[in-house]
Amino acid sequence: MRGHGDLRIVVWLAWLCALLAFLLPVSVLSLLFAAPLALFLTGYGVTAAIFARRRIEPRQFALFSLGLSLAVLALGALPLNYLPGGIRAGWWTLLLLLVVLGSCRAAALRRPRRYTAPLGRTAPLRVNGAQAALVLLGIAAILAAIVLAFTPLGAKQAIGYTELWIQPATIAGDPGARIGVGSGEREDSSYRLEVEFGNGGSASRELELAPGEKVVVEVVDSGPNAPTAAAPVPVTATLFKQDSATPERPFREVKAWIPAAEESP
Amino acid sequence: MEAPPRSRDLGHLAPIFLATGVGLLVCSLADALARATISPTPLLYWAGILILALPIFYRLTGEEASPRERLALVCLLGLSLYCVKVFRDAPLYTFSDELVHAFNANQIAEHHHLFRENPFLEVTPYYPGLEGAASALMKISGLSSYTAGVIVVGAARLVLVAALFLLFHRVSGSARVAGLGVAIYAGNFNFLYWGAQFSYESLALPLLLLAMMALAEREAAPREALRTWAAPVVLATLAIVVTHHLTSYAVAVVLVGLSLAYWYVHRRWTPPNPWPLAIFAIALATAWLFVVASSTVGYLTPVLSDAFDAIGNTIGGEDQPRGLFQGGNSNVAPTPLPARGVALLAVALLAAAAPFGLLALWRRYRREPFALLFGLAAIAFFGTLVLRLVPPAWETGNRLSEFLFVGLAFVAALAAVAALGRWGRQRWARPLLAAGIGLVLVGGAITGWPWDSQLARPLKISTAGATISSPPLALAEWARDLPDDARFAASTADAALLLDSGGKLAYEGASPDVEDILDEEALASWMIPLLRENEIRYIAVDRREVASDTLRGYYFSRRDRDEPLRPRSVVDKFDAIPGISRIYSNGPITVFDLGPQR
Repeated sequence: MRGHGDLRIVVWLAWLCALLAFLLPVSVLSLLFAAPLALFLTGYGVTAAIFARRRIEPRQFALFSLGLSLAVLALGALPLNYLPGGIRAGWWTLLLLLVVLGSCRAAALRRPRRYTAPLGRTAPLRVNGAQAALVLLGIAAILAAIVLAFTPLGAKQAIGYTELWIQPATIAGDPGARIGVGSGEREDSSYRLEVEFGNGGSASRELELAPGEKVVVEVVDSGPNAPTAAAPVPVTATLFKQDSATPERPFREVKAWIPAAEESP
Repeated sequence: MEAPPRSRDLGHLAPIFLATGVGLLVCSLADALARATISPTPLLYWAGILILALPIFYRLTGEEASPRERLALVCLLGLSLYCVKVFRDAPLYTFSDELVHAFNANQIAEHHHLFRENPFLEVTPYYPGLEGAASALMKISGLSSYTAGVIVVGAARLVLVAALFLLFHRVSGSARVAGLGVAIYAGNFNFLYWGAQFSYESLALPLLLLAMMALAEREAAPREALRTWAAPVVLATLAIVVTHHLTSYAVAVVLVGLSLAYWYVHRRWTPPNPWPLAIFAIALATAWLFVVASSTVGYLTPVLSDAFDAIGNTIGGEDQPRGLFQGGNSNVAPTPLPARGVALLAVALLAAAAPFGLLALWRRYRREPFALLFGLAAIAFFGTLVLRLVPPAWETGNRLSEFLFVGLAFVAALAAVAALGRWGRQRWARPLLAAGIGLVLVGGAITGWPWDSQLARPLKISTAGATISSPPLALAEWARDLPDDARFAASTADAALLLDSGGKLAYEGASPDVEDILDEEALASWMIPLLRENEIRYIAVDRREVASDTLRGYYFSRRDRDEPLRPRSVVDKFDAIPGISRIYSNGPITVFDLGPQR
């Protein structure tokens, strides 16, 4: 790479980005290094190799750097698919690094001795105070738009709901069921949960749930005849919404079959 | 070698950037109000779009801006309009194609291999370019498919507008034509929403434009540079072929068209006539189609044959023509008259500009093969508008428009510059032209996306300090805890969420005929065997009719709007199956468990 400062910088940056992107455990931090490697440096190397003997405009070079990075990403998963272990972080990092190293090496070999870095020819931006202030205000507006977009808001007209689900289970060695209740209502809600087993067992619980709250109730089948593989026992969970206009009317109902204890999932 | 300038002025970029930020904030506010079910006036949203776009359009109409500033402006336009789409749906995908591709990306991340099954859109795993690209960021940085997808499509958007600008600049020799061309292209029916989604065409189309830009440069390059310029075309073509079927055929069509145009102009098949590249693209697309993605034939054939049949039937008077601005079903509010007026006016404006643009093209650029291709595409675009009157051909026409609009944008930009040449000194000329492009932008967005779905809807809401998901999303979140191999039969919207948010294989639609199993009021003898045959254990029955709607089926129901429900018997019929369990209910949605395969 001697004599080609841009390629040397790209190679060093690729090493740095590859290592840190691969090693940093926090997604956002890792992305800060993975994105330049995946979306720019790869394409820069490929573009430098293709146009090693031909000058193209900086804006074309920048566009190809981004566009050909995307092309390499679109194609890259194909060879990785057939490597041992398939498409994994290590393989991806290695592939992108190899593309940068290989293409930069090819570019360095093909380039004439005196070669000005393609993106080094652009002049610096001249920004005055007023312009900087306007840009900062624009950034502030965009940040406000992002915060607004990503913040869940109250929705008066949205209709709330309640979830009820059931799963046969073995509880402390006995057959039974796990029953989940989740409140998607827009205010605190009170419920009565009644569970009836086909063999006569039953249970009842009173529940108070805040919006977004979920509880899982474990109920053991206390009926006289334990379920067997040949004769599983049906279980029905009925939820009554105490604070509704019709608290005695079943609000939700779920049913399952309780197999023999050892068969329960 | 030309010496670089010592420094560059920002030009008018700073105030325009501020306007873009304010426009985005206004759009985001309109969406926030809509999510809060406050039902803001749509004018607020369109005002945001225009605050964002009009200053850019106005600046592009002038003579003062440098090519560099124009390029920066079109990049700003492309990215900010992309942000409008992203901010509308954050932080989840809500377009059905996005949910399908997100599932594919999640499958790659989870299982480390391509080509895994996707029952929702079977052909998508065989075009893994987009998901492969997203998987790089997902694997290396541990990002979600949403974050990785937003970044990849955002980068692709930047490539799209920049490549289009440089393509138009090369062909016309005018940065003004180039800037205006990109501005007008933003008015294509699918630019704002459909083309910005996490879907394979959103990556393939920018790569096509990148290839076209390289081809245009190749044509102008000295003979010894032809191979160099062919390299990016080859690389982009390879990437397109593994990314999207229609775009891979489009790249072949473009190359064939260009070869013929080159022959027509120069009467030569020798370089730089790109016919070898055309053969390469055809061979590659065909090989991929038959060797890897053979299911594409079965996917595209009915769509195209239905379209052709319908055209014949409509012309023959056997079928009624489709009404414009028709929603998917009778429960969807019609597009208001003023909005229809804006959309029709936009098309009328383009139609009025086209003859002048074509005249300018013929006078100045008829020796340019690319310009000839653009002219033909512009004419063909108006032909595809007729397809909008034929129900099954509507989608075909809509999908073609974003390819053909490239030509129309160039032609309309020539007309715009010709008009500026004649009336440019008049005070009203530039504001009027910018307003006209604004009209094309808004009209295109209205044409391309249903009126009632332009603004966001409540998918997650906040109440008493907690965040609550909509009932279909809650179903998908509950399904996450089921075994990995759990398979669902569900209505279309529920199935899409089960794929992405639930991570489960979900079947919908008519093949296998899950639709009738869910919709019929009585159980038929073929239903359970069909479910068993497809190893479907869970049946998610949604009483909301909107659950079959891939645009509107994901959200909270509203007190202030009537929502048609299917009869209770569509749910209760499953209780009659011996041994079945009713394992989940959230009101509108009930899940039955058929039990493991015996």
